[in-house]
Amino acid sequence: MNKNNRLQNALFYVVVVFISLVVLFPFLWMLSSSFKTQTDIIAWPPKLIFSPTLQNYAKVFGEQDFLKYFINSTVVGGLAVGLSLVIGLPAAYAISRFTQRRLALFILLARLMPGISFLMPWYIIASRLDLMDTYVALVLSHMLIALPIVVWIMSAYFNSIPVELEESAMVDGATRQYAFWAIILPMSGPGIITAVTLSFIFSWNNFMFSQVLSMEKTKTLPIAVYNFVSYAEVDWGGVMAAAVAIMAPAIILTMIFQKFVVKGLTMGAVKG
Amino acid sequence: MASVDIVNVKKSFDRAEILRGVSIHIQDGEFVVLVGPSGCGKSTLLRMIAGLETISSGEIKIGDQLVNDFTPRDRDVAMVFQNYALYPHMTVAGNMAFSLKLRGIDRAEIDRRVARAAEILGLTALLDRRPRHLSGGQRQRVAMGRAIVRDPRVFLFDEPLSNLDAKLRVAMRSEIKDLHQRLKTTMVYVTHDQIEAMTMADRIVVMRDGRVEQTGEPLELYDTPANLFVAGFIGSPAMNFLKGTIEVADRTGFVADTGTFVPLPPSPTHGELAGRPLVLGIRPEHLRIADGAAGGFEVGVKIVEPTGSETQVTATANGADLIALFRERHTVRQGDQLHLTPTHFHLFDGQNGARLASVSI
Repeated sequence: MNKNNRLQNALFYVVVVFISLVVLFPFLWMLSSSFKTQTDIIAWPPKLIFSPTLQNYAKVFGEQDFLKYFINSTVVGGLAVGLSLVIGLPAAYAISRFTQRRLALFILLARLMPGISFLMPWYIIASRLDLMDTYVALVLSHMLIALPIVVWIMSAYFNSIPVELEESAMVDGATRQYAFWAIILPMSGPGIITAVTLSFIFSWNNFMFSQVLSMEKTKTLPIAVYNFVSYAEVDWGGVMAAAVAIMAPAIILTMIFQKFVVKGLTMGAVKG
Repeated sequence: MASVDIVNVKKSFDRAEILRGVSIHIQDGEFVVLVGPSGCGKSTLLRMIAGLETISSGEIKIGDQLVNDFTPRDRDVAMVFQNYALYPHMTVAGNMAFSLKLRGIDRAEIDRRVARAAEILGLTALLDRRPRHLSGGQRQRVAMGRAIVRDPRVFLFDEPLSNLDAKLRVAMRSEIKDLHQRLKTTMVYVTHDQIEAMTMADRIVVMRDGRVEQTGEPLELYDTPANLFVAGFIGSPAMNFLKGTIEVADRTGFVADTGTFVPLPPSPTHGELAGRPLVLGIRPEHLRIADGAAGGFEVGVKIVEPTGSETQVTATANGADLIALFRERHTVRQGDQLHLTPTHFHLFDGQNGARLASVSI
């Protein structure tokens, strides 16, 4: 390696570090604030060196019923993703094999439309059917987030699986449904992991539907952050600590499955 | 085992007609190869026999059963695909056992049949491997094994060798032929490679543009092609063609549009054909070097390709390229002038391409 190359390398890392800092800044700021006292947080100029405290986390897990919100988020996300798989996998397969591009686009539209446009109908439906503050309403509304992701990712994934595999299974004596179940699904692990990870995270992070459709009983994590905001003051330390606690599962999930997620998202992109 | 009857079968996708009325009778135990250029409808026809493609009109019978409306699973046929279509998450044994499990055959019988097929194909040592750990040739064998274990009424092959390298292709060619001789099951084989068709088939069906151009035994097609298309498609290097007319006045011979005069011995057919637009067809191995300048037509040698067993000479006669194949050794060099004469030739109608006469000299 010559001098020129080494210089280029060094420059490359400087740029990478700079971009990472810019992107990660809000996150780092949130992380550090979660360990600060209220006084340190609002101090000017901002304190880079401070004595860290765990009192915010103690509040999150002690004073607030965080476990309940955590369970609510998990149940809502889990059921929404699970049901989306049950409906979305066969739908994606049908879209892929019978080339229903228009239908796929229509489903994607549900994802592209501002979620707020669904809010009023959902509110009216839930209140008329007496479903406010129930898992049913929340899970159904979160499926609006999860289902398009599942359908979209999985139909691209199924496109990359040669159609001859089912044809071969059908000549071998399988029905199309059985070929899908016994041949195509077992091969679709990476795609399903991608779809599950992404749709679960989107559901996990969703604020709007939960804010309108849930009350005390089914409140999810992003709404719980609001508990630290009161008329009189905003408990920034509590907000930050709660935000970190909410983000942690999503980040861990992404780190574990990022290999699959990248693979799943680029599937079909490379194949003309 | 069963015969296959294809009666006036048509297929169209939207407005495009893929098959324009195809009728083929395949006998019980016969090895029939469907051959033709890409887009001729041969794969579509095979998929229609398998039940993977619907039939727009006409009839397909397997044995004496009309199978038009049967799903693939009810037709009792086995198919080997071009890309093998092995189930990647199953072992070799699992791939072969899949169809038997679906039929509810008991475990011991499945094991026995898989073991037997593996033995026939030399796969015994690979039974626990997954497809991704196999070479192309081995995958091809597994695909065949999957078909063999079933003991189906008909085997269907869709260009099974085109993903293999040249050497393996030749080896697998004889293996499939050997397999047919042992199993004696009806086989329908699709390929675009006329060499595969010639070497493997009991009978060849040459297709073009959704129609059958000619059906016959390999050498029958080679010796008496029905028309220009079959004549040009079967045989490698391909038959030489010259457009022109027969002349019987002062000299007897074929006058090509390019001006080349090919002297031909007198024959009663010449008189009938004289003056009509014709195409003269001469296979490369049916050209020999004439004894004297008077006995042949002059060509200039462009390329000489000796393989040891034979020598292929590409030459040009008034701008038209010809290929000649010599079994005997000649000292021919690029730029030489030669006089060639046919030992056997065909005459085709210049308008519709039908073969009118074949003459040996």
